[in-house]
Amino acid sequence: MSNGVHEIEDSKLLFVFGYNGADSHPIVARRIVRAKRKGAQIICVDPRRIETARIADLHLQLKNGSNLALVNSIAHVIIEEGLCDDKFIEEHSSGFDEFKELCKKYSPEAVKDITQIHPDDIRKAARMYATSGQSMILYGMGVCQFAQAVNVVKGLANLAIMTGNFGRWAVGIGPVRGQNNVQGACDMGALPNSYPGYQNVTVPEIRAKFEKAWGVPLSDKVGIPLTQVPHYVLHESEAKKIRAYYVFGEDPAQSDPDLAEVRESLEKLELVILQDIYMNRTGIYADVILPSTGWNEHDGVFSCCDRGFQRIRKVVNPPADANVLTDWEIISRISTAMGYPMKYDNTEEIWNEVIDLCPSFTGATYEKLEKYVNIQWPCRSKGMEDKGTSFLHKDGKFANPDGKAKFSSIDWQPPTELENDEFPLIFSTNREVGHYSVRTMSGNCRLLRNLEDEPGWIQMNPELCEELGVKHGELVKVISKRGHCVTRCLPTDRVKKQAVYMTYQWWIGACNELTIASLDPISNTPEYKYCACRVEKIEDQAWAESYVLKEYENIRRSMGIELEKGRKAI
Amino acid sequence: MNRYVQGDPLLCIGCRTCTIACVVAHEGKRIYEIDPDGYDFHPRLKVIKTFNVSVPVQCKHCENPACKAVCQSQAIYVQDGTVLVDREKCIGCKSCADACPFGAIRMVPLGFETNPDGTRRSVAHKCDLCFGLEGGPACKRVCPTEALRLVESEDLAEMLALKRGNVLLTASAPEINRVN
Repeated sequence: MSNGVHEIEDSKLLFVFGYNGADSHPIVARRIVRAKRKGAQIICVDPRRIETARIADLHLQLKNGSNLALVNSIAHVIIEEGLCDDKFIEEHSSGFDEFKELCKKYSPEAVKDITQIHPDDIRKAARMYATSGQSMILYGMGVCQFAQAVNVVKGLANLAIMTGNFGRWAVGIGPVRGQNNVQGACDMGALPNSYPGYQNVTVPEIRAKFEKAWGVPLSDKVGIPLTQVPHYVLHESEAKKIRAYYVFGEDPAQSDPDLAEVRESLEKLELVILQDIYMNRTGIYADVILPSTGWNEHDGVFSCCDRGFQRIRKVVNPPADANVLTDWEIISRISTAMGYPMKYDNTEEIWNEVIDLCPSFTGATYEKLEKYVNIQWPCRSKGMEDKGTSFLHKDGKFANPDGKAKFSSIDWQPPTELENDEFPLIFSTNREVGHYSVRTMSGNCRLLRNLEDEPGWIQMNPELCEELGVKHGELVKVISKRGHCVTRCLPTDRVKKQAVYMTYQWWIGACNELTIASLDPISNTPEYKYCACRVEKIEDQAWAESYVLKEYENIRRSMGIELEKGRKAI
Repeated sequence: MNRYVQGDPLLCIGCRTCTIACVVAHEGKRIYEIDPDGYDFHPRLKVIKTFNVSVPVQCKHCENPACKAVCQSQAIYVQDGTVLVDREKCIGCKSCADACPFGAIRMVPLGFETNPDGTRRSVAHKCDLCFGLEGGPACKRVCPTEALRLVESEDLAEMLALKRGNVLLTASAPEINRVN
């Protein structure tokens, strides 16, 4: 995020785009609620009537997959009505003329059918955003999980640049990241193209720095994105093939799109290693399982989505007979066994190495993390007076070579797999508040399991339910070109008739059987938010209920879970 | 006046933290026992979600409770400004659930208690404002958006005064001037 999460509540206008804070991050949603209480206006852009939409001054219930058409249209209105911050554009940006030209064809009337939003509402949103004086954009997976994702982010950035909403308190653009510490994973270089601290692997000086620090020669080639692993296992030439897959803290056999293809590649791999705190579905395919400690059993540093480093601390010891190690101890041992002796005594030693190699993290010492609790990078100096950076782009300075923000002129592109006669509905994944990610942690929390359990729900408009003759709680079959699953019907008028929604954490109601592995060309994030599906009524509900129970037992058995310990019926 | 917990739909984000807290408060340490099914998961409130509203619904602790009036077995009583159910006396007739205008009472099976004939006991179940538990209503304490409040008589007076004050907003300008 360009600005801090703590700044949200001071904004005068929150433009919440494809971000459902209440279900994804209640703690961030709290800031949105506080902003509202302090008098902020809220524009919510979401195809569903999410919690934020209820308290919004304006809810643009757009058609799924029309993001960039809407964003460009808002820009069109801002230009047309002379609401731009001309001084900011002149002094701190480049490429505006080209962008202005592009926007000409995106009048609210021109995108009315694509977005399903009344032109007056687009105009109203544009005026509100451009004139509040302090507007902040928050976006989430409703932007990122499309084949056209990065370009929508650039489109949202265009809005912030053209209205001068950068480089001040409580403005900017905020990707509220999908997972806890996913920002940390990126910060630490868990990306195919960078070392820790966003230092590119292809830059010779940077490679030389890391080679010197670690005493080994390093590759100068960009690696393979996670979501392309199935392709590299199944379809690549012998020389380029991936043969071994070391998975930790992930469950691709549950979380990745098109699970049939994921399973095929996990089966084809010569070696699968799983490192996790509980058994999961990927574990079924693992040759080796390395049990590690949970979030409360080890120390470390997390990064918040707003670039804030915070320490996490061990609160309990793992059971003495558990035979588990922390992730960093396991990595050290594997590395040592493979011929590179890696030895640390504690996480502070590791952290000191990280900050010394990453100029933008250098100042975030354990001492300061202890004292100030939260340090947002960039924090370049170890002196106690450098407390980090709450908001980026101060005085209109941007990270491009010319120091200016760049307008991106990009056309809207429709999603990959559109609804059709055989599959007439839009299928989208979403979140629910009680369960985190693939449920490896929350599914093992008994209370959260009580709150929601297998086989999960599919959100359907009541009219659609009536047409299909399905009622609340009934088991239904959901089918796409790639697979199917069984789940329960949840009628709700918070969704439109044209689209249905499921969460991705259930083993029986595994909606990733349906999703499409269509990737954004830049981020390689899959299009979880759009594919075509149909929902079928199951006439024999008694059969369906017993199928769910049996299937659940089968999965648990395949994962080595003791069934005789007993549990209540689902 | 009997106290009650009131949710504000403008603050509620429908996260159901209150639902979990309710069970934790009433089940106590049992939930941390080894057997994952060694407790009853029966929240005493229900978060409802309509097109425009998300809010927990629970007992209003009425001054003249309909549930108490219809109870055949004197299982429903009022103590310290709280409407309570005596599970021992409850015969599971469901009249109270039917009588409650807010849908705040439901029938729940007790996992660890049986009738003399061995059948599972089922009783009326409702908010008891965490009666006898330290710290007051758990739902209110855990709400991340402070959407829940425990309404005492002075709070009610304040709420009503605020609403009466709002009359000024719709009054004509000369009226406002005269009031000031």
